[in-house]
Amino acid sequence: MSTNNLDLTERLELIQNMMAAGRRSTTRWAWTIVLWGVAFYVAIAWSSGFFGGPIWGQHYMAWPVTMVGTWLLTWALASRMHKSAHAPKTTVGRAIMSIWTAMGISMFALLLPLGLSGRADQQVCVAVVATLLGTANAASGILVKWKAQIACAVVWWLASAASLFGTVTESTIAFLAAIFLCQIVFGIYAMICESRERRRQVQGAVNA
Amino acid sequence: MPELPELNPVIHGKLRLALLSLLMGVEEAEFTWLREKTGSTDGNLGAQLMKLEEAGYVAVEKRFVLRKPQTLYRMTDAGRAALSEYVDALKQLLGSAVAGD
Repeated sequence: MSTNNLDLTERLELIQNMMAAGRRSTTRWAWTIVLWGVAFYVAIAWSSGFFGGPIWGQHYMAWPVTMVGTWLLTWALASRMHKSAHAPKTTVGRAIMSIWTAMGISMFALLLPLGLSGRADQQVCVAVVATLLGTANAASGILVKWKAQIACAVVWWLASAASLFGTVTESTIAFLAAIFLCQIVFGIYAMICESRERRRQVQGAVNA
Repeated sequence: MPELPELNPVIHGKLRLALLSLLMGVEEAEFTWLREKTGSTDGNLGAQLMKLEEAGYVAVEKRFVLRKPQTLYRMTDAGRAALSEYVDALKQLLGSAVAGD
């Protein structure tokens, strides 16, 4: 290929890379997936009496305190990240944000009254959480055409079904396994993707 | 033999091309984000963005957020059309070059 053709090819690649840089919107938030996975584990361990001490002994506080605390931490870190990164507004980014915000509010609106009214059944709660997480992962995955995230949605839905048909122990195991696969493993994988993408962009930065 | 298309000189500069491509994927972007993504200097970036603005390919909005000045750039419809035409022309040129090899 001649030098001229190489230049034209480079230009096409430059256009593709830069457009991808603008659209990158899911992997940037990979840390929140891991953070929430850890939060679920802390809440489960706390509510099961895994931790000792006067505060940790208040098992009924485990889920509300952990979830509200994690939400505040996510909000604080996200605001800081937004200020430092000067991230642009994208339609896809707004769509993904709306999916997860709506899912979070739905979960809060359903689980809090369930807990307060005393009608909460552990297996039903796990099924509700897993179904909602499956819905949000599927919608996000379809939006950005990310098969790994769609696979996570399937895992959550399977965990939801397993929770309703199995025993309490099986329900707990299904939930713990889904958290591990879809929050910890998938979150770390997304963080690795983000790190690779960032390195590739630094190398491809233009100086015209 | 069909006539080969000419590449738009306003878009052909590498930095201007990168800027339009970045703006194509977003609704609006800050000057600082564009600088970070292109690895360009303030002066060069400002000059190239001004050329794109003069051509009517990008629109600028200046505002204050928490008392700090913020310059936002967004692509216009003319810019979108010009970049699409540029990409088509590039593909046509590459196609004819491959056929001629």
